[in-house]
Amino acid sequence: MPALERLRRGSAGDLIWLGAWLLLTGPVLAGIGYAAAASVGAVGPGASSAGIERIERVLAESATWRGLGLTLWVAALATTLATAGAVLVAATFRGAGGLDRVARGLAVLPLPVPHLVAGALGLWVLGQSGGVARILAALGAVRMPAEMPALVYDERGIGLALTMAWKEFAFLVVVATVLLASQARELEAAARTLGAGPLQTFFRITWPILWRGLLPAVIAVFVFVAGSYEAAALLAPSDPLVLPLLMADRAADPDLARRGDAYVISLLLLGIAAVAVAAHEWTRARWEPLDS
Amino acid sequence: MSARRGTIAPRSLDASRIVRGVVLVALIASSLGPLLLLGLWSLSGRWLYPAILPTEYSDESWRALGGGALWPALITSVALAVSAGVVGCAVALPIGRALARLRGWRRHAGAAAAFLPVAAPPLALGTGLQVALLSAGLGGTAAGVLLAHLVPVVGYLSLFFLGTFTLFDARVEAEARTLGATPWQTWRHVLLPMLRGAAGESMALGFLISWSQFALTLVVGGGAVRALPLEVFALVRAGQDRAAAVGALLLVVPPVLGLAALRWAARRTSMMPA
Repeated sequence: MPALERLRRGSAGDLIWLGAWLLLTGPVLAGIGYAAAASVGAVGPGASSAGIERIERVLAESATWRGLGLTLWVAALATTLATAGAVLVAATFRGAGGLDRVARGLAVLPLPVPHLVAGALGLWVLGQSGGVARILAALGAVRMPAEMPALVYDERGIGLALTMAWKEFAFLVVVATVLLASQARELEAAARTLGAGPLQTFFRITWPILWRGLLPAVIAVFVFVAGSYEAAALLAPSDPLVLPLLMADRAADPDLARRGDAYVISLLLLGIAAVAVAAHEWTRARWEPLDS
Repeated sequence: MSARRGTIAPRSLDASRIVRGVVLVALIASSLGPLLLLGLWSLSGRWLYPAILPTEYSDESWRALGGGALWPALITSVALAVSAGVVGCAVALPIGRALARLRGWRRHAGAAAAFLPVAAPPLALGTGLQVALLSAGLGGTAAGVLLAHLVPVVGYLSLFFLGTFTLFDARVEAEARTLGATPWQTWRHVLLPMLRGAAGESMALGFLISWSQFALTLVVGGGAVRALPLEVFALVRAGQDRAAAVGALLLVVPPVLGLAALRWAARRTSMMPA
């Protein structure tokens, strides 16, 4: 191929890539840019002279760090529970039989349920007068709502984590099922032929395939849970506030000067997302044959 | 091997059956239970603690649907989600195709760019978008909310089409060009017919993503664009459980039907296990 033609094709490829990249990242980068400018007080509510005082103030508040801690704890707990459940279901119901198909269909049912509806269901199921409390009352385990352990608005965010685990579990089941169907069968058969028992096959073959393939999806679930607003607004405690709620709280502060603090928290949330995106793509690049 | 099977198989078979039974019961309870609960709440007349089932039933909440805020909100949500699905597909298809043709670090950077609007917390994303849309005169309008919904929709669908075009046999396109077809003719007569199924699935996916958007609608719509999630949220917060359950069912049924359609389509094209 002549050098000029190669250069022309290379430039066209670069232009296409740059256009697609800008179109996808433009709105997010604009949001990050505005949040950064508002965080230093250059624009937005309470803007005066640019400086890092606002960032210093927000980062010095215990509410910020406690909120970050609760956000990461809820996301980690929900992701762990959802992953464990997804692996269990995918490994247990992986056959082609009718029961396996029914089980997989049931498992993915929460997938299209909006987070808002999941949050409302969490309230109605896990609340102190909710479905679980009524079943326990029928069994004689509790007599009145106050005796039911507080799972909603609790300071450890257990109800929120359980609800998000239920919601996100379905997504991980889909990924785990596809992984087992596409990659594991032949290797497992080979391992069994070579004399490996069921447990050996699971821990030496099935589990490595699952965790490598699931890792990008697990990272995605973690960041979805960390950034979710509507379920947290219905189930999370008021002290400490998870970061999305803390951000909304600051944005509606009666003191106009403090409203800009919301942008610092927004930057924290976007920072978590950016780290997750980098980790997600790194794991995909490491274990998926993208360039094959 | 056969001797080992002969000694341990019956016990492990029993254990396996017990595990399958327990997991299946848990799946039935966790997947169907919440939906049943929504149905019961929407039809309950009187349902006080500690009753496990309603003591009185009523269709009052369903009959009130026509005169309340839920019906117009439903129409707004349908219009937004259909538009987001169609426009998102049209924008994301060429992006996904461009990303799939890249190799090396450009491809990874492109995939990361597509994932960024998906991973960005909607509330944080919305605050940045709100300023841009307000300055464009679109704050608090349905058009502004649609543009905001398109940000995550295009991200998701670009990843969807990246996967589709990675599996796509590009030689078909090259052969059409070799046989004298122009780029437009190749698109019109070769690519589009082959991509019809994927395009339909992506529109359904885009519909679902827009359908469940809450924070973006709240922030960019400024409360003036009353989509269904906003109305349901307000009802839940107000403790109007029966009306909220009706709204929640309206939010759940289209996505569940959409998922069923997607799984049916995927099975037909052998994209995923049944």
